Amino acid sequence: MFDSAMPPKSKPLRSGGFNKNTSSIFDPLAGQIHNSEGYGATRGKIDHGVTENPYERRFSPYDFNGGTCVAIAGSDYAVIAADTRLSSGYEILSRDMSKLHTLTDKCILGSAGCKTDVDQLRSVLDIKMKMYHHNHRKTMTTPAVAQMLGNTLYYKRFFPYYAFNVFGGIDEEGKGAVYSYDAIGSFERTPVTATGSGQAYIIPLLDNVIAHRNRLDEKRDLLKEEVVEIVKDAFISCGERDIYTGDKVEIAVITKDGIEKTYFDLKAD
Amino acid sequence: MFRNQYDTDVTVWSPEGRLLQVEYAMESVKQGSACVGVRSNTHVVLGALKRSVSELSSHQKKLLEIDDHIGIGIAGLTADARSLAKYMRNECLNHKYVFGAPITPALLMGDLADKHQRTTQTYVRRPFGVGLLVAGIDPQFQTAHLYQTCPSGNMYEFYASAIGARSQSARTYLEKHYESFTEASLDDLIIHALQALVGCVSGDDELTKENGSIAFLGKDQKFTMLEGDALQPYLDRLELKNAEEEKDDDDDEEEKEGDAPQAMET
Repeated sequence: MFDSAMPPKSKPLRSGGFNKNTSSIFDPLAGQIHNSEGYGATRGKIDHGVTENPYERRFSPYDFNGGTCVAIAGSDYAVIAADTRLSSGYEILSRDMSKLHTLTDKCILGSAGCKTDVDQLRSVLDIKMKMYHHNHRKTMTTPAVAQMLGNTLYYKRFFPYYAFNVFGGIDEEGKGAVYSYDAIGSFERTPVTATGSGQAYIIPLLDNVIAHRNRLDEKRDLLKEEVVEIVKDAFISCGERDIYTGDKVEIAVITKDGIEKTYFDLKAD
Repeated sequence: MFRNQYDTDVTVWSPEGRLLQVEYAMESVKQGSACVGVRSNTHVVLGALKRSVSELSSHQKKLLEIDDHIGIGIAGLTADARSLAKYMRNECLNHKYVFGAPITPALLMGDLADKHQRTTQTYVRRPFGVGLLVAGIDPQFQTAHLYQTCPSGNMYEFYASAIGARSQSARTYLEKHYESFTEASLDDLIIHALQALVGCVSGDDELTKENGSIAFLGKDQKFTMLEGDALQPYLDRLELKNAEEEKDDDDDEEEKEGDAPQAMET
C-alpha cells in the first residue's frame, strides 16, 4: 500500500554528511545542498511527493482501516462498543462493518487497525478456543482468553498483527473485566480502555467520567444504562473530530445473562 | 486352516485372499463395550455403555465431540480412537479456516477411510484397533447421517448400527424398529438408543446413569452429551415404557386364560 498522502521518507543519496529533510520550508539551506549536487532547482521548495531525487519506494504490508473501540468494566457487566466505519486513506470502504467479535457468550473482542490482520487474528483465536473446548470439555474463561490473546499477539512479535484490541467480558466471579492490548501482546486488566484512531479523544473523557480521575465529588457505581449513554456521548464527540470514526456505533452489553447489542447512529461525514 | 502362517504381517495375504491382521484388528473392536447409533431425518443419536476397570475407577468415555455438527462413538482401543478424534478435529478446524464453512461429514469420512486403508498397506504400521460410529449433519443439505468405520478402511452409511461386545442383541432390536426412526422425535430416538443398549449389558449389570451415555445432534442442534443426572429422566421413561409393555403382555395372557378383566390402572 503506497502512502501517497504523506511525503516519502527519503534520504538524499549524496548529501555530504547532512541528512536534511528536503520538505522543510523553514531551512532555506535545505534546498541548496541539493542544488550544489546538481539535482535540479529545489531551493526552498516543499517536496510534495513527486521528487526529482531517487529514493526507495517500499511496499507496506499494513493498511490502517480506521475506527475506534471502547470497553468499560462494571460491577456485574461489561460494555464494549465500536464504530462501524471501515476506511482506507481518505476513502470510506463501508459504513456498516462490525469491529466486535463474540468469542464466548461471556466475552467480546473489539479490534481496530488493519482489517485483514484483525480477521486473521479472530480466525486464529476461534480455532484455539475450539481446541481448548475439545480438550478441556468446557468453554474458556474470560481471563484465560485474555492471556491467550496476549500470547497469540506476541507469537508474531517480529511481524505483528496490526490489530489494536480491547477485550471485555465477565470474569469467573461475575464481575466485569476489561483488558487493553498493544499490537504485540502487552496487556493489562483495566476498568476502562479505548483504542483506535479516536482513542486520544475518548480516553481522557472516560478517565474523568468513569474512572473518576481528577474529580472531587463522590465516586459512585454506575448502572449499565448510564454507561451506555456515556459511551454514546463519547462517540459523538470523537466522531466530530476524528475523520475515521462515524456512521454508527455498535454497543454490546455483556452480563451473566448474555450479550445485548444495540446500534446508535452517528454523523456520516 | 492357514491362519497362523499368514498372519504375522499386515502386508501378507492369506491363500483365501484375506488380510488376517486386519481381521484380527476387527476382533479388537468386538471386544470393546457396546456403542449404538440411530438416526432420523433430522437428528442422530449415539449411545454407549461405559466400562469401568474396577469399582474404584471412573467409567471410560466413549462419545467424543468432533465439531458442532459431528460426533463419534468408539469401540475398541481407546487410545487409537483418541488419536483418530484428534485428527478429525484438526481436519474440521482446518476446513473451516481454509473454506470458511463447516466440513461435510461425507468428506471427512472419505479422508478417515483413506487414513485407515493406509495402515493396511504398509510394512511399518498396524491397523487402527477401533471401530467408530460417526454421527454428522450435512451443513449444506441439512440432512442427518450415521457412518461406521472399521479397521479395514471400509466405510458404510447406516440407518442404525451397533458395534462392540454383545451388540448383536442391539442390532436385532434396531433391525426390527429402524423403519420407525425416520420420523421419530428426538426423545423417542434417545429411548430407542437406550433400549438397544439395554440388551448389550452383561449378566447381572443394568443400564444406569453411571455407565450409560447418550449424545445427540440435529439440524438446529449442536452436539450435546447426556451423562449422569441428565440421563436419569430418560432412563426413568425407559423403565416406565418397559413396565407398561410387560403389563400389557401380562394382560394379554390373562385375557387368553379367560380371567375376569381387571380394572385398568391409569
